Amino acid sequence: MKARLARGLKGAIRPAGNDSLLLLDPHHPSAPRPQAMRRYPDSEAVDMLIVGCGAGGATLAQRLARRGWRVVVLEAGPFWDPDRDWVSDEAGSHPLYWTEPRIIGGSDPVELGKTNSGRGVGGSMVHFAGFAPRFHPSDFEVASRDGVAADWPIAYEELCPHYERLEHELPVAGEHWPWGDPHAYPHSPHPIGGGARRIMKGAERCGIEMRVGPVAIANGSFGNRPHCIYRGLCLQGCKVGAKASPLVTHVPDALAHGVEVRAECMATTIEVDEGGRCTGVTYFHEGVEHFQPAEAVAVAGYSIETPRLLLHSRSSRFPNGLANGNDLVGRGVMVQGAPQVGGRFPEELRMYKAPPPEIASEQFYETDASRGFARGFSIQTVGPLPIGWAEHVLADGHWGQALREYMRDYNHWYVIGALNELLPIPEENRVTLAEEVDANGMPVARMDYSQCENDRANIAFGKERMREIVRAAGAQDVLEIDRYAHLVGGCPMSDSPETGVVDPDQRAWEVPNLFVADGSVMPTQGSANPALTIMALSARLAERLADKRIGQNHERRERMLT
Amino acid sequence: MSRDAGHLPNLGGTESGGPPARLPRQRRGTTPQMRGRYPDYDVLEQVPHWDEATRRVVLDRVERLPSFRFFDEREVATLGAFCDLVMAQDAEPRIPVLAMVDEKLSEGRAEGYRYADMPPDPQTWREVARMLDAATVEQGAGSFGDAEPETQLRIVARFAEGELAWDGCPVEKAWKVAMRDILSAFYSHPWAWNEIGFGGPAYPRGFARLGPGQREHWESPPEFELDPVRDVSERGLE
Repeated sequence: MKARLARGLKGAIRPAGNDSLLLLDPHHPSAPRPQAMRRYPDSEAVDMLIVGCGAGGATLAQRLARRGWRVVVLEAGPFWDPDRDWVSDEAGSHPLYWTEPRIIGGSDPVELGKTNSGRGVGGSMVHFAGFAPRFHPSDFEVASRDGVAADWPIAYEELCPHYERLEHELPVAGEHWPWGDPHAYPHSPHPIGGGARRIMKGAERCGIEMRVGPVAIANGSFGNRPHCIYRGLCLQGCKVGAKASPLVTHVPDALAHGVEVRAECMATTIEVDEGGRCTGVTYFHEGVEHFQPAEAVAVAGYSIETPRLLLHSRSSRFPNGLANGNDLVGRGVMVQGAPQVGGRFPEELRMYKAPPPEIASEQFYETDASRGFARGFSIQTVGPLPIGWAEHVLADGHWGQALREYMRDYNHWYVIGALNELLPIPEENRVTLAEEVDANGMPVARMDYSQCENDRANIAFGKERMREIVRAAGAQDVLEIDRYAHLVGGCPMSDSPETGVVDPDQRAWEVPNLFVADGSVMPTQGSANPALTIMALSARLAERLADKRIGQNHERRERMLT
Repeated sequence: MSRDAGHLPNLGGTESGGPPARLPRQRRGTTPQMRGRYPDYDVLEQVPHWDEATRRVVLDRVERLPSFRFFDEREVATLGAFCDLVMAQDAEPRIPVLAMVDEKLSEGRAEGYRYADMPPDPQTWREVARMLDAATVEQGAGSFGDAEPETQLRIVARFAEGELAWDGCPVEKAWKVAMRDILSAFYSHPWAWNEIGFGGPAYPRGFARLGPGQREHWESPPEFELDPVRDVSERGLE
């Protein structure tokens, strides 16, 4: 009944338990006013010290603060002022990415930085496209259903109420969603551009259904957040403030409830006492070492930095790194395959207009035995800007005059991409510490990544479907590029200490007051963009912590179903 | 405008060598080599509509020519010729691609990754210069910068195909690293935006006309039907 009422009222509904949309300054709508922020002295322990202020960390902080916890968040990057710091420009948006040195290896190395790693308050959601789909119920039982990867130690039903609340908080706009657990969105779908209309028709001709959304961009103004102006630079940080990122969706409310976000503070070691409990975090601010004590620590640095911090936190009790007694930290790190197919059409489509995330299909999400591989992919629109499109043209083998000619044709092209669920391979794909050190003397992360046969078959099949769609849409010429998208995994949650780093409450099996609150806990990655699920996991974790439902002892437990 | 796509390279549209036939001369603003598909479009006329932070960053690319601080003279000659070739900048005005790359490298602006079997990016660039020169010497010429255009083209084609020998390092990754920086410099420049008809920064104004074939009032249509020879003589450009 409530859901039906909410659908009828559309954008008029305001989220419960999160006033961020009203706390933003209406005259600088995208800046959260950190001036009045509460400060905690580093002489006393806070209730929860969080490392990383992205989707996982910011959501956890906001939820815990609402329940009266004293929370400090250490963020390696700046506290953004979008008016001053962000630009409507592709190359000028580099400061949004994690560009500290990292080493990539393996037979299919993953280029890190602009497509997968954020830095600064808001994390990589600051430059994510905006797609905010839920995971499917099948994602939580991949091993049982498909005989590959792992089951999650929690079920979809555990996250569902948090998905629903967060979809109101971001808010998410889109058509009724028929895939996975069918559901509606609080905001109605955005208008789509000419390219997306073409693709939708092409897909229909191939018997593939595509729908508008789900996009974490308010449709219409939302509290003090202005409406979208369709300028197309979602991946460059939304200066408008219409696209969701924790900077506008959770940090304002967190600050209002006493959270301190300590920006430009790079955590280097989680300290532990002799009893094996963590005592706080050593970090560097402007080259000076500090220590913040805490009753509990939550690491939310994402799939590369979280393993790096744990591996670097060595002590006599944890000689191989914190929570790494079973040599599982950093293992099984995953990335979604993200091949793209561009089509050339007779009319101008100008794909730089409108948000790149426009329409999507999850029709190929689950395993279909007839395809010859396990799991699947989703199809989404991409809309690259000129530099991104130039990389596309180059990847298809063109340079010199041919490259320039394809580039002059930019306005006639439209691009779609797949998100392929690639499987975790803990033996080969992992994050380790390299010899090389950063400016603080901390070893940099190395990520090794190789695909398996299932991955290659999945990507090839996805590309074939996309070529069909683009051709059926009337494309006169087609270009392709192979690439990767989101990272997840590296500190998987599990129902036994032998198979994962954290328990079903995201608490380290080996350290009773250490939590991991980011995408690294995800045992599989689905074919959905991970942001909403990372937030939902943190919202669930905060609720369980504040309700004191997380006990002091680890017992093996039955699968938890609500 | 609706038209076929016969001009595109995959469909046999571009012969190797010069710019494609029927490509208009620019009438407004500047494009690299003053050719482009949008002869009456100058994105820089929209500067008053951009926000201050964006304006500063974008105009800096047009107004300030960075001086070389990272590459030495010989590297500039070799890599300058290489950049001209891979971006087909065969005449003035040129986007100063190598100077922009030099600035990036000398300021230590990084991408966030390094292949395990590759040196850091700045060193990769120096290695590319050395490799191009070595390949030229193999062909009997002095240095890449002084070689005949056909020789240069042949060497770059081998580089693009991953066929150049390079002390056991993966040459295809060197190509990726160099081209990433080159494309990022070239297509961040408003002159390139003029050439391809990109709307550029649209904050705070935004875009209102999203439909197929639609344009904002300040955007202009592509020109496919113009005969550039007649156009140039009619307008007395040469």
